[in-house]
Amino acid sequence: MKKNDLYSKEEKFFQDKNKIYSAQSVKQIVYSTDARDFGQVAKSVPCQDACPAKTNIPGYIRTIFEKRYGRAYEINRIANIMPGVLGRICSRPCESACRHGEPDNGRSVGICHLKRSCADLKPSSHRIIEGLYASTGKKVAVVGSGPAGLAAAHDLAILGHEVVLFESMEKPGGMLMYGIPEFRLPRDLLMLEIKNILRLGIKLKTNMAIGPDISLSRLQEDYDAVALATGCVSPRKLGIPGEDFENVHNGLDFMKAVNEGKKPFAGEKVAVIGAGFTAVDCARSAVRLGGKDVSINIRKTFEYMRVDETEKYEAQLEGIKTYSLIQPSKIIGHNNKVTAVEFLRTRMEKTDRPPYRISVPIENSELVVRVDSVIAALGQVSDVNIMPKELSGLDKKTNRTGIDGLFVAGDFATGSSDVISAIAGGRRCAGDIDEYLTGEKRRQKVVRLENHVTTDRPRSYDFISKVEMNTIDMEERLFLSTNEVETGYSDSQARQEAKRCYLCNLKYEIDPLACIYCSACIDVAPKDCIKMIKNVFVNPDGTYGGYEETRDWNKVVSIAIDNTNCIRCGQCLAVCPMDCISVTKTELIEIDT
Amino acid sequence: MMPDNDHYVVIGNGPAGNHAAATLREKDKDARITIISDECVPYYYKPRLTGFIANEIRREKLFVSSWGSYKEQNIRIRLGQEVEKIDPDSKVLFLQHMEKINYTKLIIASGSRARLLPSMSRYADCLKFITSYTDVMEHKEAIRKANDFFIFGGDLVAFKFLKMLVAMGKTVTILIYPGAFWPYNLSDDMLAQITQSLSKFDVGIIIKDNVESIDEQEGSVLVKTRKGIEKKVNMVFSFNGLSPNIDFAKGSGIDIDHGILVDEYLRTNIKSIYACGSCAQIYNPAVKSYTASIGWPNAVAQGNVAGLNLLGDHKVIESAGRKYFDLEGVKIKTTWWDDIDDES
Repeated sequence: MKKNDLYSKEEKFFQDKNKIYSAQSVKQIVYSTDARDFGQVAKSVPCQDACPAKTNIPGYIRTIFEKRYGRAYEINRIANIMPGVLGRICSRPCESACRHGEPDNGRSVGICHLKRSCADLKPSSHRIIEGLYASTGKKVAVVGSGPAGLAAAHDLAILGHEVVLFESMEKPGGMLMYGIPEFRLPRDLLMLEIKNILRLGIKLKTNMAIGPDISLSRLQEDYDAVALATGCVSPRKLGIPGEDFENVHNGLDFMKAVNEGKKPFAGEKVAVIGAGFTAVDCARSAVRLGGKDVSINIRKTFEYMRVDETEKYEAQLEGIKTYSLIQPSKIIGHNNKVTAVEFLRTRMEKTDRPPYRISVPIENSELVVRVDSVIAALGQVSDVNIMPKELSGLDKKTNRTGIDGLFVAGDFATGSSDVISAIAGGRRCAGDIDEYLTGEKRRQKVVRLENHVTTDRPRSYDFISKVEMNTIDMEERLFLSTNEVETGYSDSQARQEAKRCYLCNLKYEIDPLACIYCSACIDVAPKDCIKMIKNVFVNPDGTYGGYEETRDWNKVVSIAIDNTNCIRCGQCLAVCPMDCISVTKTELIEIDT
Repeated sequence: MMPDNDHYVVIGNGPAGNHAAATLREKDKDARITIISDECVPYYYKPRLTGFIANEIRREKLFVSSWGSYKEQNIRIRLGQEVEKIDPDSKVLFLQHMEKINYTKLIIASGSRARLLPSMSRYADCLKFITSYTDVMEHKEAIRKANDFFIFGGDLVAFKFLKMLVAMGKTVTILIYPGAFWPYNLSDDMLAQITQSLSKFDVGIIIKDNVESIDEQEGSVLVKTRKGIEKKVNMVFSFNGLSPNIDFAKGSGIDIDHGILVDEYLRTNIKSIYACGSCAQIYNPAVKSYTASIGWPNAVAQGNVAGLNLLGDHKVIESAGRKYFDLEGVKIKTTWWDDIDDES
């Protein structure tokens, strides 16, 4: 198929119009550090703002639409380093923020599935692009090769530092390798993306644990800076009688054993305790180990489950039941082996401090459930034993500790979070270490503003149904427990889903000096997005707040587009008789200072 | 501006909502009472919808209330208006058309809607549902004209609908999905019993299979199953249980599990907000757990109690739902905790 045949007449019109305009105004690009522009991007591009790594989501979705999968992969990699991995296991805060998911707009865009399609569909000859800085001659030790450690090592290597990555396990990847089941994250893909990072000259030393194999003080002596990114690996305990019976597993150890190819005992009746991704992973793994009656038991309500709807659904599809408002009070055993769990029912109660709603057990509401095994997946905390005792407070803003040259990154610093937050944390830490080593801030965030003349999409795209992810059936899932459940989008599915993105990175503005206040734009707007205003509030940080609206024409100072409500349909642009509505492409990027 | 008099707002125009509103009016002659419904018709009997499709019941017989009866009771009825969110702090409802409504006390009786299985969402355009008057009006003529039907699922309405189609002389194939009575999965024994019960009707029954694809083809629909069965039909209906209509309450601070959590007095965790009917999950002190309830009589009883308690009474809802439903001879429990109790 010729490339031109990919586009409809309407789409070609948009492309040609933009091309002509770009040629005429090649210099009309501005790099802004104005707080108002940062504020505008944060408010108007909610998916990007919700992403801890600030991935340019509309940017890569647009390039997917253009069938430039390699470019889309690189746009991702700039921010999140491992698009193939994250496209499978990210917790997707972006999708919760997506404007397409707001009331009356349908369902949020499948951002994560699209991210995965960049990795799946990029050409085999795709070239990775890294902008390397000259060598600094500084040496940095990064301890822990999980997402935070890998991200920190990646950025430090790019910035010209010599990086050695220490890993206590046999293989790199941390929780990605040992915590997440292979049916969600294939290991060949994980290793490929880890190798892409290591290719920057990073030395990886596996089976090297702080304490038994090398001391922290030795690292401090040998390196100009040390980053601790050992994550959260100490499991939270149930704290109830019977916890030490045989076949009572903690979630992380259970998943580690599964991922090492061992077959921990699950039995037929399995009770998983916990409400997060690890709990769901444990339950789904238990099904693959032969569990016939597997349940997830949560203390609060379904609302408080810390997993996305897809995971909830897949668990349900695999026959896993979820019981809410219940908490274990005792584990019952015989001959030192678990035989049952005693639960108490719970109810929700208010508290004055976060999290404001807690579950409390109901007295005399005991119920006993017979089980063959229990998996407690209550989350993890960081292992602070590896930190020197004299360590003083941690400055979370700079990732510095009280000890000169010692930094902390990712979950180890913040407590248990998710992969994308850990990657963002690792990258932030690398920036702080670089500043410490070079004495200067070498990179800064700016807002790139470029004139654009069209909406890039017809209104009909707003009504396209969400493209569901393809999955394998139950037989294939159980035939080989490592078979990946999700199989990705095809090229046509990816393009179809990409069409749904509103492209919120396009900023619409009305020029008040050219506007004749005809209100034609207000008449055609499908949302409450064009407003008659008498004032614009300014926040203390210099960003714009909301608009003060008025219906009194005598008080109107401008007609303004509210980009937080705008769905970029372009109706206003089409009807404006004065051509006073402009479109500007906004991108949050990092440049040299 | 808050209203001078009390303004009681009821979300939902079904049996729970109407009985709540009627109780409120009976006990408080002066208050403003408003019922808000996203449907566009007065209060009607849902159980009669299948009879209406089969022309056994005339349209007029569907309705419990006429327009005049709301006026007689001085209850304002606002139809075709969808509540988008609730702000309990300022006691304001936000309607989808951007109107704000102040209330002093609120009863949520928003009922349930057909559950669309996530695996079926890609075929949503091909699937038809029969849970409301609007659904019926949309499909009634098409059902009469069509000859071949495919039913996917197997909840209570499914079998009622199936029998209606058979009585109308239609050709019907049903794929019984074991999870249709979610969260309860039908066991093999139950499936066998249901199949046996349906065998007296002239219908195609498919079990232990699933839908592979549904494609619309020039006025007909081709359904393929995973085991290779292909059926070319005129219409495909999905009956996989109900999901409470509670999206508008999410994020408002009201406790939600499957439905809106209420205590035995039908109070939510937010003062001045009550919930009743199939959108609520009611605390049952006898089993010390929350139970869902379905069915017209339950909704009526709960509506009455919610109305009384909102006005200061302290009535405990006596039956927090029928414990069992009869699904073609198979008893299905409506509260899944009972399974655990049985084993304890």
